Amino acid sequence: MQAITKRLKQFKREKHGISTVIVVMLSLVLITIIVGNVVLWSYQMNQVDLDRMHETVTITGVSEYESGTRMDLENTGSLSLHVVAVWVSNSTTHQRYDADLFLNSGESITYNRADIEFPKDDFVAKIVTDRGNMAVFSVD
Amino acid sequence: MKKNFKRFLRDKRAITPVLSHLLLTVVAVAIMALATSATFVITTNMRETMGERVIVEDVWFNTATGTIDVYMRNVGKADIQVSNVYVEHESQSFNGLSSLQVNKQGWLRIAYSWTSGESYYIDIVTKRGTHIASYYKAP
Repeated sequence: MQAITKRLKQFKREKHGISTVIVVMLSLVLITIIVGNVVLWSYQMNQVDLDRMHETVTITGVSEYESGTRMDLENTGSLSLHVVAVWVSNSTTHQRYDADLFLNSGESITYNRADIEFPKDDFVAKIVTDRGNMAVFSVD
Repeated sequence: MKKNFKRFLRDKRAITPVLSHLLLTVVAVAIMALATSATFVITTNMRETMGERVIVEDVWFNTATGTIDVYMRNVGKADIQVSNVYVEHESQSFNGLSSLQVNKQGWLRIAYSWTSGESYYIDIVTKRGTHIASYYKAP
């Protein structure tokens, strides 16, 4: 017991190597912050990419509707999606129209737009989601 | 009280250890501040590089202007800056958008004399090194 107490006292008095231990601990804290930050961000971005891969939307048909247009859309993916733009393109013009349409997973919807007029000749209709996916429908 | 204070002022013993400890503390704090700033800068740069996502919504081989117009949208988590545009692996001049904030979009006009029916490999490079590249066929 005496020997242990003596050793303990000696250990308490010993000052060698303390600064090294402190430096190592501080460095470990910094390294943990860097690695943690990068891993978390990487995980978040992977999730964004995965969601984008799982998103699938199709245009099943387009037609004229009164003075505007009608588009039949179907969300065949497992995630709900947000359509942010409609493109109508032909050989002479590429026109983008802002859109704000939400589709649940598995939902089919008819999207009417009075402000969009399809060209009389061949054209391509395209929708773009906020995750960056697209669906294209070609009319000949 | 006054006497004691005067004696304290005259007493020069142990000044050197106090000064050395003080200096050591200042140096240690400065080094830690530097290390923390460096950590912040490194992680911010890494996050911005990993967070770049850009999509090409539309490519228009414009017959009226004779340019290739690319409509881009930033779907990532960091602002981007277009640094170079390559068509068929050759650097081309461009105008329109040079920087794109998160969730913003715009036209990038590439000055290139294209031929109808030909396919072109268009590569858009951001300042952080992200490539948005694909083949597009002129109508």
